[in-house]
Amino acid sequence: MSALLEAHELRKRYGDFTALDGVTLSIAEGELVSIVGPNGAGKTTLVNLLTGLLPPTSGTVRFKGEDIAGIGPVNLAKRGMARAFQLVHIFPSMTVAETIAVAVVSQSDKAMRFFTPVRKDSAVNMRVREVAAIFGLERKLQTESRLLSQGEKKLLDIASAFALSPEVILLDEPTSGVSSGDKHGLMRNVVDAARKAGVKSIILVEHDMDLVAEYSTRIVAIQSGRVLADRAPAEFFADPEIVAAIVGKRVRRLAQGAA
Amino acid sequence: MTALLDILIGGVFHAAVLFLVAAGLQLVFGVQKIVNLACGSFYALGAYFGITAVSWCLAHGMPPGLFLPVLVVAGLAIGLIGPFIEALLLTVYHRDEAFQLLLTFALVLMFQDILRFFWGADPQQLGDLVMTYGRVKMGAVQVPTYNLLVIVASIAIAVGLGAFLKKTRYGRILRATAENREMSLALGVNVRWMYASVFTLGTILGTVGGALVVPTAAASLDMPVELVVEAFAVVVIGGLGSMRGAMVGALIVGLMRAAAISWYSELEMLAIYLVVIVVLIARPGGLFGKPLE
Amino acid sequence: MRAAPAILSIVALVALAALPSLLTQYQITLVLPALAYAIALLGFNLLFGYTGLLSFGHALFVSIGAYGTAVLTSKLGLKSFEAILLLCAVASVAVAIPIALLSVRYVKIFFGILTLAFGMLFHSFLFKFYNITGGDTGIRVLRPTLLGRAYEDLDKTAFLVGPFYYYCVVLLAILGFVMWRLVHSPFGLHLVATRENRRKSEYLGVRVRFFRLIAFAVSAFYCAVGGAILAVNTGQADPELAYWTHSGELVFMTVLGGFANFFGPVVGAFSFIFLKSELMGLTQYWRFWLGAILVILVVLFPRGLAGLFAQLWARLHRSTPT
Repeated sequence: MSALLEAHELRKRYGDFTALDGVTLSIAEGELVSIVGPNGAGKTTLVNLLTGLLPPTSGTVRFKGEDIAGIGPVNLAKRGMARAFQLVHIFPSMTVAETIAVAVVSQSDKAMRFFTPVRKDSAVNMRVREVAAIFGLERKLQTESRLLSQGEKKLLDIASAFALSPEVILLDEPTSGVSSGDKHGLMRNVVDAARKAGVKSIILVEHDMDLVAEYSTRIVAIQSGRVLADRAPAEFFADPEIVAAIVGKRVRRLAQGAA
Repeated sequence: MTALLDILIGGVFHAAVLFLVAAGLQLVFGVQKIVNLACGSFYALGAYFGITAVSWCLAHGMPPGLFLPVLVVAGLAIGLIGPFIEALLLTVYHRDEAFQLLLTFALVLMFQDILRFFWGADPQQLGDLVMTYGRVKMGAVQVPTYNLLVIVASIAIAVGLGAFLKKTRYGRILRATAENREMSLALGVNVRWMYASVFTLGTILGTVGGALVVPTAAASLDMPVELVVEAFAVVVIGGLGSMRGAMVGALIVGLMRAAAISWYSELEMLAIYLVVIVVLIARPGGLFGKPLE
Repeated sequence: MRAAPAILSIVALVALAALPSLLTQYQITLVLPALAYAIALLGFNLLFGYTGLLSFGHALFVSIGAYGTAVLTSKLGLKSFEAILLLCAVASVAVAIPIALLSVRYVKIFFGILTLAFGMLFHSFLFKFYNITGGDTGIRVLRPTLLGRAYEDLDKTAFLVGPFYYYCVVLLAILGFVMWRLVHSPFGLHLVATRENRRKSEYLGVRVRFFRLIAFAVSAFYCAVGGAILAVNTGQADPELAYWTHSGELVFMTVLGGFANFFGPVVGAFSFIFLKSELMGLTQYWRFWLGAILVILVVLFPRGLAGLFAQLWARLHRSTPT
């Protein structure tokens, strides 16, 4: 399997402060890679570099073989990578359907049309309904986003990222703010949806180690700007030093077998 | 050489007055994030009221030499409409900035007629009163002492404001609220009172500025609208929210205007707008402000 | 009620067409500026209501339309109104593009101040270079030909309230239809997204700056057309058209009508012209009352008249079963 996203010796310095000190990793088709690590370890910087939001001080980051250093969110979306954030972003006065439609249309050849009505476009509407159904939002299609519950807003955020038909999707703490009972349900939905939607790889940034253990094909632990470990879950949790560094002295739970 | 000195003094005088208005704008923006299009109206109000106050005092036997303090007091007094205006603006604090601009624009319209109602459509002035303080010889030029007094007063106010903001408790709370309103609220600061007092302070700076300018210029109904553009030029060039910016911006605009009037009067305002545009593009935060977007 | 907007528009247009038979000639001369502003504001609201950018300098584009018409008719002898409209609109867009390129990086206050500065730059240009622009008297506007016809037999008023009036109603209808399609297209959808959450729309692949630029250019186009109509109506193009308070009036009208509604700008244009003329007839302190009304609008009725109407409509519908 070919590597979709490759980072090589990524470094990011802000003046004297080194946020990232030589990170190399690659993500191939079919993988669900979790990036874990304590706050301040450099996860956010790494993610911003991987998604082309920031240019690295040195090193390269390639998506599908092309350099994406600092290309910005719009180009990222056009190349096939989507990102959903931890803090919910919505379009307050737009309905669920309209929100998803923005993503559907921007990726199609209809993005630059100025005179054709978008509400009556059956192809767009069908796709919007499809994506909404995956996330259980089909009954809320005509609801304004600001009237949704917090959990629904979160779902919409992820759904709109999906609607871009990306090849790689990066989920930034997708279950934060979601009640513990619903967390697994959401992850299950997302992973299934991704498979159905043709998403080739998922990058997950998560603090919830249960979820990480259950769904990842690989776990990358970042500490002090460097890769501490890059292993499959079974090996990851089998190493007490790594677990202690990431989870803290108190070992909460060890995964039994890989997802 | 004479011409240059003339421009310098004229420019600095204009800058001194502009600074007062700009400082008021900066304070209000810094704390409440409101951009007050009616600052020119306050300025005009101070000018007209100043004239009325001085004329009244002179008619009641005041010696002409006291007109400067009377102007200052008049400016201070009329600036006390501040809290009432602020109460109105309260209604739009939490809304989109567009509404704030609109509300203050509405005030400009209203003040236009309020001024006309009380003082009529003709420009008013204090005649030769400015000469009461005589002239001072500076090199080859004769400068009215009054102008120098105003420049000194403005510098004094600038220094005073600076000290006030840095050293007093009120000043520190003001700066804290400007940085982080929620935090201030959480720390028990009476933000409502803070907003009202800062706005009033801003208003007073504007009205005193207007009052101080009338001996040398007429008060007219064009004042409010014309001043807004200049005041904004100052604030943009200097940087929104920065006192130092207000000073530097005022100097730049004041000197440019003086130079333009002397050399190529067609270019007067054009030059200023060009500078505003260039600054906004090259350094969107102004020379001393924080960059945005 | 999907057909509601279409029905509403047809009713409104029919009403407009019928007005000359119902009102006096003098009253019709008031409706003309309303038509001009209705067109200008449709464009302005694309930028304000739909894109979320408040410009305090759009009087600049209205004046380009007015001065363009004046220069073309009295100095260059071009009389075809169609050609005039096209040239003014193109000139307006040409000026708008560099301004937009510089301004759309900024939002909110800075956008407002920057556009105000550009507007005033143009104003002082008009004022100071009186050799070209006629200074504070401005330039005369001669009567243009409509679809090639000169109507020499009609005097000024008869021309304005007759053929010119109907011409403008048709212009409003056409430009209104174009704007409707524009805001309901994928472009319109993306524009609203950029207004609601710029960052998110970027992550959804929307080219924010580019779309803002187009919205700005279109708004300039419409404002120029409005300005051209105003110029023919008054027979004069003068610098007051470019003063920042005129830009403020454009915003006032839009908010009065309701910026969150497609028809708001049209409602606003008519209401404002009517309001202003009534007030001017009642008192010399009409600015005060106009300002007071704006205060009430902003504080109590931010969604304007169209918004009020839409609320009433929704309330009526809620009580009937669907």
